[in-house]
Amino acid sequence: MPDPAPSGIRLDQATVRLGGRVVLDGLRLSLSERRIGILGRNGSGKTTLLRLIAGLIAPDQGRVTVEGADPFADRKAALGNLGILFQNPDHQILFPTVEEELAFGLVQQGLPQREALARAHDLLAGEGRSHWAQAPVSTLSQGQRHYLCLLAVLMMQPRTILLDEPFAGLDLPTQARLSRRLAALPQRLVTITHDPAALEGADRVLWLEAGRIALDGPPAEVLPAFIAEMERIGACDADADLAG
Amino acid sequence: MLTLTSPVEIWAHRLPAGLKLGFLALATSGLFMLDRPLWLAAAALAAAGLYASAGGRFALAGLRLLRPLWPFLVVVGLWHLWTGAWQAGGVILLRMATAVALANFVTMTTRLSDMIATVQRLARPLAVVGLSPRRLALAMALVIRFIPVMLERMEQITQSWRARSPRSPRWRVLVPATLAALDDADRAAEALRARGGAG
Amino acid sequence: MERNLTHIALFAALIAVLGLVPKIDLAAGVPITAQSLGIMLCGTVLGARRGALAVLLFLALVAAGLPLLSGGRGGLGVFAGPSVGYLVGFPVAAFVTGWLMERTTLSTGLAAGAASVIGGIGVLYVFGIGGMALMLGVTPTEAAFLGMAFLPGDIVKAVLAGMVTQSLARMRPASLLSRA
Ligand SMILES: Nc1ncnc2c1ncn2[C@@H]1O[C@H](COP(=O)(O)OP(=O)(O)OP(=O)(O)O)[C@@H](O)[C@H]1O
Ligand SMILES: [Mg+2]
Repeated sequence: MPDPAPSGIRLDQATVRLGGRVVLDGLRLSLSERRIGILGRNGSGKTTLLRLIAGLIAPDQGRVTVEGADPFADRKAALGNLGILFQNPDHQILFPTVEEELAFGLVQQGLPQREALARAHDLLAGEGRSHWAQAPVSTLSQGQRHYLCLLAVLMMQPRTILLDEPFAGLDLPTQARLSRRLAALPQRLVTITHDPAALEGADRVLWLEAGRIALDGPPAEVLPAFIAEMERIGACDADADLAG
Repeated sequence: MLTLTSPVEIWAHRLPAGLKLGFLALATSGLFMLDRPLWLAAAALAAAGLYASAGGRFALAGLRLLRPLWPFLVVVGLWHLWTGAWQAGGVILLRMATAVALANFVTMTTRLSDMIATVQRLARPLAVVGLSPRRLALAMALVIRFIPVMLERMEQITQSWRARSPRSPRWRVLVPATLAALDDADRAAEALRARGGAG
Repeated sequence: MERNLTHIALFAALIAVLGLVPKIDLAAGVPITAQSLGIMLCGTVLGARRGALAVLLFLALVAAGLPLLSGGRGGLGVFAGPSVGYLVGFPVAAFVTGWLMERTTLSTGLAAGAASVIGGIGVLYVFGIGGMALMLGVTPTEAAFLGMAFLPGDIVKAVLAGMVTQSLARMRPASLLSRA
């Protein structure tokens, strides 16, 4: 059956092996909702799925397309289609100062350096953080670096933003501000989180388990099942401890 | 990051980096062509005058930068005295100290960003062998970004070792540190790819 | 492509860090700077071309004014000083070390140690001692006397380079670009 005008994120039997192990196992997905959440235990393959969608790794088998383009092969298209916020900001930041880090993405999209820097300064001014411009990134706190990474992604205005645990390591007011900020974005967001409550407003939630989809549906359906299972496993371990 | 640029701003800070480097190249070649002690002494005096024109604090910082030369000056001075070639020894020592002092003067009066821009301009011809100025700029930024990251990690590795061992890790930090450099490189490559690659 | 660039940059940073870390008490209270170990590792891990490029990148930043040479030295002055031969020899040493590493069929650790002795000591000393002879106006033999003071430390470093490379080969076989 021929595909009608491909849109959104599509995975067709996508399999990823890392270090000889199958980490994602023949995933078939078609994601077009605006707010998508991914849940799963540590090591279930969430980050790997995001890297696959972002085109940072290629599937060992199967196919991935985003808005009709292969994100691994067609990097030019991927740059406008996808932005990704890494789980650890230190893995994302490439430049010694805040302004260089912010300007880089725009330069990559074809803007002259001078204009890119000007836009970075505007953005910082809008965030009330003009004093960050020349600051060495090594003087920012972990939470601030995370925020910087998000700003760098937003500057490139991708159609879809992939967020790998965006709230980890942030204090409560910063979390609240960030989630308001994210909620207001017009883009499609795919968010990995360990906090089911953060996904109550999502359009669709995927529950990943050992590289496969355990459950996929609206939050009202997936979240209670996920919570129940996590509580069951948590209780089991406690019992095992007592017994052992 | 800490640089060798002097925080005391003097007149030479306002000269363009390219001009200073041009003068330095000329002066250094000149020094290596002179071989009369008197001429070299004059050159050394001129260099000292350059530092003096900048004031005491700057001159002191300049002297401190010459400190690594002392052991060589002493050893070579004594050696030439002993072999009786004190004139040849004087020529060599004066020439070297002056050349180093002049080069340091340029470093002390040029901001890192200007110097990096100049290095990149000088490296432009290398584009024909595949080293684009953009890639060089990116590589230099990456090094400056990752030095503090790696230093901090060395510290962490040492601390987490100490937390579990009565002895200091000594050379054993080398393996995790090098491993971390390799992993950082892989992750930075991915981060670079996520934002359009090295082009 | 990206991986080449980032490996070169990260190893340039590693050379700097190994020179800045105040005292890696390498063996029994002998504090030696590990900077030349960084040069050896560039060759044994990255191979000839990338290793030499990493060292050149490091030197470009030193010339630009960063105090990244061991003892916090840097700037243009060091290129006019008596150790300039060592600086010129650094990229060549990394290249030769990497070249040997890429070609020998010895086991990884042994190959890395031997390549470091030949490239990181033999080749480097030729440049370093030659440079001192020129700059200080002494004969190469006399300069060699000065240079030999570092030989015991450098032999320890070559052994360490072999051990570290061996461990890396075990833990990240795919990252050992010299043997890829
Ligand atoms: N480079 C790698 N080489 C080998 N195995 C890997 C590699 N990266 C990840 N894995 C394995 O793949 C599996 C999935 O990893 P992934 O990072 O996607 O998990 P995750 O769901 O994001 O976990 P977490 O909640 O801890 O972030 C894990 O079992 C991990 O050990
Ligand atoms: Mg993860």
